[in-house]
Amino acid sequence: MKKAFFALLFTIACTLVQAQGDRPEMADTFRSNGKIYVVFAVILTIFAGIILYLVRLDRKISRLEREPGLR
Amino acid sequence: MRKRWWKILCVLLLLYALAFGLNVFNIPWFDVPRTPILHETIRNLYYHVGMWFAMMILFIISAVHAVNYLRTSQLKYDIYSRQYALIGMIFGVLGYATGFIWASVTWADPNQPAGASFGAIAREPKLVGAGIALLIYAAYLVLRDSINDVDKKARISSVYNIFAFAFLFPSIWIIPRLLPSLHPGGEVAPGVRSDNPALDPKALSAHMRAVFYPAVAGWTLLGVWIATLKLRLRLIEQKTLIND
Amino acid sequence: MALEAPESRVWNGLFWVVQLFICINAVAKSFLQEAPGRMLYYHTLVSPLHFVLAKLLFNALLMLLMSALSYGLFALFLEHPVLRPAPFFGLVLLGGLSLSLVFTFLAAIAARAQQNAAIMAILGFPIIIPQLVLLMKISLSVFSATGVIPLAPILLLVVMDLLVILLAGILFPFLWKD
Repeated sequence: MKKAFFALLFTIACTLVQAQGDRPEMADTFRSNGKIYVVFAVILTIFAGIILYLVRLDRKISRLEREPGLR
Repeated sequence: MRKRWWKILCVLLLLYALAFGLNVFNIPWFDVPRTPILHETIRNLYYHVGMWFAMMILFIISAVHAVNYLRTSQLKYDIYSRQYALIGMIFGVLGYATGFIWASVTWADPNQPAGASFGAIAREPKLVGAGIALLIYAAYLVLRDSINDVDKKARISSVYNIFAFAFLFPSIWIIPRLLPSLHPGGEVAPGVRSDNPALDPKALSAHMRAVFYPAVAGWTLLGVWIATLKLRLRLIEQKTLIND
Repeated sequence: MALEAPESRVWNGLFWVVQLFICINAVAKSFLQEAPGRMLYYHTLVSPLHFVLAKLLFNALLMLLMSALSYGLFALFLEHPVLRPAPFFGLVLLGGLSLSLVFTFLAAIAARAQQNAAIMAILGFPIIIPQLVLLMKISLSVFSATGVIPLAPILLLVVMDLLVILLAGILFPFLWKD
């Protein structure tokens, strides 16, 4: 995911490089044209998935810990 | 879930690092310094370097629990020590992998396909140091699995953990500084600093720090969270074994 | 000439790798070839601290001898590209000392785990690589007549040796406990 984002950033950076100025090019239009939200939505979805999975695991283990017969 | 506040904190910190690290909301304060070669990829600092910091902190926790085990001979500390080392290794592998991706567009010869110059990149002192760190803990796991007796396993692997940890610091933090390196914070040639100093922690801009340190804290807490899940599971297994 | 002599960089690399293997074999013998019964006997005689210090001392002396010997053999059978033999000889002794200290302690671990020399190599290689890299880097400077011998890595090696002795003294009693 990060790699894909990276590739995206890099291709954008590459196209910008063709119009070389004297200061290093950055992905300046990437944010103003709103495309960054697409990337961020993808990242958020994956992150939410991982965190939800961790929370569920945490609950399950807590239930196991409370189970009688363990102590 | 006992004591859930730090897990919430972990999620919040990581959300902050993801959102403002990428400057999603286009706030000028979170703009990164304009540097050649690196361009926008400098934002990888929050994620790639965060992996290494998290790894180091997890290894420190692992070593502390190894000391605790030797002091008290309570088996639970050995379980802690192993799980933290394992999660630390996972973060280390992620750090290595992300570093490879990053280096393949910033260090590598642009006229060759990414990965073609891996041989040259992999001989970087910092990468060798990182590889050594991973190998040390891989050896730790091998050593553990080669001993059957539970107490003996715990004692011997705790001793190795502490011994290896003492060598981890020179191999990661000191020796790479003595050798020429492309990596930021190193020297390209004796007396000449690397030409992309933006990643040198001393040259880090204050604005980047404001994202970097919370990101490190977030990644570390995530590692601790996963490790605690694993070690709680191991403790339950241990108890059911005793009861059966 | 039937075989060509290696150039100095290859000579250097070859030399230190050979040192590494000499050390593994020499040191492994001292711990792994002792019967468990004899360890028990030692246990009744001396404190673990004295025991490990004696082991470290013996292996260090053994390795110093071996290093000097192998340097002589290298100079005799391969060419001798070292332009300043005296500093290099000192470095050889320091390197031999560092290797022997680290591997003595690892041999103790391997012996307690009732394993062969293979596990010692697995445990030892990642730990020893930094020192080996340092040694190779320092020794490259004596291959030219004018190279400056860097002081910082040498100090670092000495500090690491002291660290090993300290850690061995602290940790070995735990290994011995049964």
